[in-house]
Amino acid sequence: MTELRLDGLRRRHPASKRPAAVALRVSCYLILIAGAVGVLMPFFWMLVSSLKSPDEVFTVPIHWLPNVFVWDNYLRIWQHSGILTWVRNTAILSVTVTFLQVLTGSFAAYGFARVRFPGRDALFLLYIGTIAVPWQSYMIPQFILMSHLKLTNTLYAVMLLQAFGAFGVFLMRQYYLTIPEELSEAARIDGLSEYGIWRRIILPLSGPALASLALLTFVNTWNDYLGPLIYLRSPNLWTLQLGLQTFIHTLYNANYAWLFAGLTLSVIPIAVIFGLGQRYFIAGIATSGLKG
Amino acid sequence: MKPRRLAAIGVAISAFLLAACSNSGTSTPSGTASEGNQPVTLTLSGWSLSTTPEFQTLADGFHKAHPNVTVQLKEYDATNYDTLLTADLASGAAPDIITMKNVLHVATYVQGGALLEVSSVTLPSGISGASAYVIGGKPYAVPYRLDSWVLFYNKDLFKKAGVADPDGSWTWDDYMNAASRLKAGLKAAGSTAMAAYEHTWQSLVQGFANAQSPDANILDGKYAYLTPYYQRALQLQNEGAQPTFNTATANNLTYETEFGKQQAAMMLMGTWEAASLLAQQSAGTADTFNWGMAPAPQYSAATAGTGSTPVTFGDPTGFAINAKIDPAKLTAAKEFLAYAASQDAAKSLAAIGITPALITPSVVSTFFAVKGMPTDSLSKFAWSTHLTKPENPTSANTATVQNILNSLNTAVMSGSQSIGAAIAAAQSYFSNQVGNA
Amino acid sequence: MMTTAESAASARPGTRRRSRRRMRSYLIGWSFILPSLIGFGVLTLYPVLTLFYISFTSWDIFGAAHWIGIANYQRLAGDDLFRTALLNTLYYCALTIPLTLGTSLSLALLLNTKLRGVTFFRTAAFFPYITSIVAIAVVWNLLFSPQYGPVNEVLRVVGIAHPPGWLTAESWAMPAVAIISTWRDMGYYMVLFLAGLQTVPKELHEAARVDGASAFQRFVRVTLPALRPTTFFVIVILTINSFKVFDLILVMTQGGPGTSTLVLSQFIYQVGFTEYHFGYASAASVVLFLLSMITTVVLFSVNRERETR
Repeated sequence: MTELRLDGLRRRHPASKRPAAVALRVSCYLILIAGAVGVLMPFFWMLVSSLKSPDEVFTVPIHWLPNVFVWDNYLRIWQHSGILTWVRNTAILSVTVTFLQVLTGSFAAYGFARVRFPGRDALFLLYIGTIAVPWQSYMIPQFILMSHLKLTNTLYAVMLLQAFGAFGVFLMRQYYLTIPEELSEAARIDGLSEYGIWRRIILPLSGPALASLALLTFVNTWNDYLGPLIYLRSPNLWTLQLGLQTFIHTLYNANYAWLFAGLTLSVIPIAVIFGLGQRYFIAGIATSGLKG
Repeated sequence: MKPRRLAAIGVAISAFLLAACSNSGTSTPSGTASEGNQPVTLTLSGWSLSTTPEFQTLADGFHKAHPNVTVQLKEYDATNYDTLLTADLASGAAPDIITMKNVLHVATYVQGGALLEVSSVTLPSGISGASAYVIGGKPYAVPYRLDSWVLFYNKDLFKKAGVADPDGSWTWDDYMNAASRLKAGLKAAGSTAMAAYEHTWQSLVQGFANAQSPDANILDGKYAYLTPYYQRALQLQNEGAQPTFNTATANNLTYETEFGKQQAAMMLMGTWEAASLLAQQSAGTADTFNWGMAPAPQYSAATAGTGSTPVTFGDPTGFAINAKIDPAKLTAAKEFLAYAASQDAAKSLAAIGITPALITPSVVSTFFAVKGMPTDSLSKFAWSTHLTKPENPTSANTATVQNILNSLNTAVMSGSQSIGAAIAAAQSYFSNQVGNA
Repeated sequence: MMTTAESAASARPGTRRRSRRRMRSYLIGWSFILPSLIGFGVLTLYPVLTLFYISFTSWDIFGAAHWIGIANYQRLAGDDLFRTALLNTLYYCALTIPLTLGTSLSLALLLNTKLRGVTFFRTAAFFPYITSIVAIAVVWNLLFSPQYGPVNEVLRVVGIAHPPGWLTAESWAMPAVAIISTWRDMGYYMVLFLAGLQTVPKELHEAARVDGASAFQRFVRVTLPALRPTTFFVIVILTINSFKVFDLILVMTQGGPGTSTLVLSQFIYQVGFTEYHFGYASAASVVLFLLSMITTVVLFSVNRERETR
């Protein structure tokens, strides 16, 4: 167990309270670890099953550890399934969609949060309304529209469909509402245009919200299955989820060990991005300059 | 951002949309290729092309007979075939020849005008399954394949348990007796295999019930005839003769593994399992053992025995012609349909272990000449001689009814509802859903 | 909420200048929204509006859509399966929304520190969300397997002789789905809450602590109010997502056993994509939409009322 930082506590509380505080911290950690184990257990099972031979994956009773570690599964998935193409396509899509969503979302959100114009709230409600409709309800009219635009069976289709979502607008708007008006007022008095305010004041202050939006959009696009299924028909356009599942469907007997190997591989980039990007969530807001 | 820059972006977006819209239109015409000597390319929808060789086999066979016609396969995801095909039909991007993967949706396609009627395509006499594609008196597709349901059994396990092999005369009572004896015998021999494996699909129970019970028709909305079939299924799993439905669902048991890895001595399954088993045996994912096919257990002794025609169920797979096909290709397409139903095609399919819709003596010998197929006479009888009733009657209501019956199946087999309650619920849903449609 | 530009304008003499300023303000507002709006309007709004139109027709995708007025809605009113789906959806929401809200907020509060190792715990909490849904369905079906699954094994050890059937039992399937849904989504909403927690001014916290407020009081008086826009956002999104839950149930139970986990989205999918009654499915979609929107509007007005208090 790592050494706990108790400096803050030591300074503020008398020594007699320290053991209780320590006990609290330790039990906190224990609970967290137990929680983490429980939460990660399904993933652990998937990881372990990716190293089994296919008929060992689903057995009665359940095998927790493989009899023989079949590292070959990863090799097979890597070599035989075209996974590199899928990763490339998925990366292109995820990065582009994330960039577009964050850009258009944060831009539009400023209009909804800070500028007053007639019909603003009604329009905003309309945005949210479209989130309330399940995708498969309007999937077919949307597909017909996209095929008239000659965009089906291209990566552009998936990019365009995800890039203008209402979710990003909603998220950024709520975040902008928490930024004090005084900051923008001061900038306005200084002669900055609204666009300037957005770019120089609001955007830099929205670090955590931009980071969360980027992360969630990235993850959703990375794991999206139905969209690519309907729109990306040529195998050279397939994304990771689509390619993996289609590949497994073509086998005589769904090889879940291979599927899990592929799925484990697909989780790694996101886990890494999330781990590295965490410091952007927990960024302090510079609210200095506000007082006085 | 400066307003000017913004305007520029707006112009760019509009230009992009306009350019995209100006190329409106559906499929590109293939030119004025006429039948006969001009080269013609037909597109055909298939799935899992790498492990489903039947499409390429038929394409190659047809090309040999008609060298100026090439059949190009378009691959669809096997599990989502219907959804993807629907999307393509809606947007006009479906291929020339559409494979009817199941009978469930044929009536809807026809009602929507998506398929051309093919009464001018002559079918060989003796072909089964053609009636499934007749709507309003006209045929709209041609069957090329018809899998019937038979009993697969593991001869080695039967021997181990000391139980006599099926002899083709089993009724359901005989099947139940065999299951009990297998269970006891396998246990005594120290084997962990189960007497039978019953897959979780609704057709395992309902397919036989619908086909064998007198006057049973799922479109009537009366389902009391399902009762004895469900009683038997529940008895088998409660006895421990087969894995329970809940275990099979939760533990994702697959029928190929259960039979192929000798976890079960008997298994009711469609005849496609034969090719599947052989492929897995050669790939090493299934054991090599002595196995055979027997006719499915019968409702009564009247249809049992190798002197009668056993009753079972199954649906054809067929080809239909896209209503939006280029008229210049129509003759070639119809010729392809005629070929697919012909004896030549049937033999080429049998040679790769597929059960064609047309079964003649030469087709039988071709099928059983495939390496690894059982060669005993009972297997040949079970595969070739049967009265195969439709699993899905051809009607626009079938999909709705099958959804209702699927809920019934999961409710009963999971032990959540009694058979009587589930049947009552299904009948109530039927009058509500189908009656008021 | 008026911008300073507008308030400054209204103080100025001269109506023409005022209206020009206001016009400029409107144009600026619309210019911000336009890029998103064009894409959104063409690609999402238009198909959704088409959906509304289709709900008044009978359409099987291939042919033309025939106008039948409100016949679809009348049919819905008498449809037992639709009623079942509606009740199941409400049941699911009643279970999932409080559970997910509580878990994700607690996680965010707990993990909003700079303690060492917290990165690991945050990643662990987020892991379920980034795992493929196919894997989730398979794994949880296995874990909840009534006879051989570890969950019931543990319950038997603890002393419960007849543990529930979870996903295989009609009365336990929906609670099981709710548990899995919470497990999956808590990391997602935790991330949203974490972002929101960064807006809580640290000075207020310090001031409250110096004043002697307990941790709980600080939470209620400082954190919660500052968190309101985020909490509102999370509740709206969570509610909408719960109403339209689909892929988790589709891969895990397919609406079974029986019809115990059949939710509205699945009903819509079944009617539309397996039975090809798209007009009818669209009508059901409109009802689902109205449910979500009414709830959202109610939430909006409650939030507005709280804001102006």
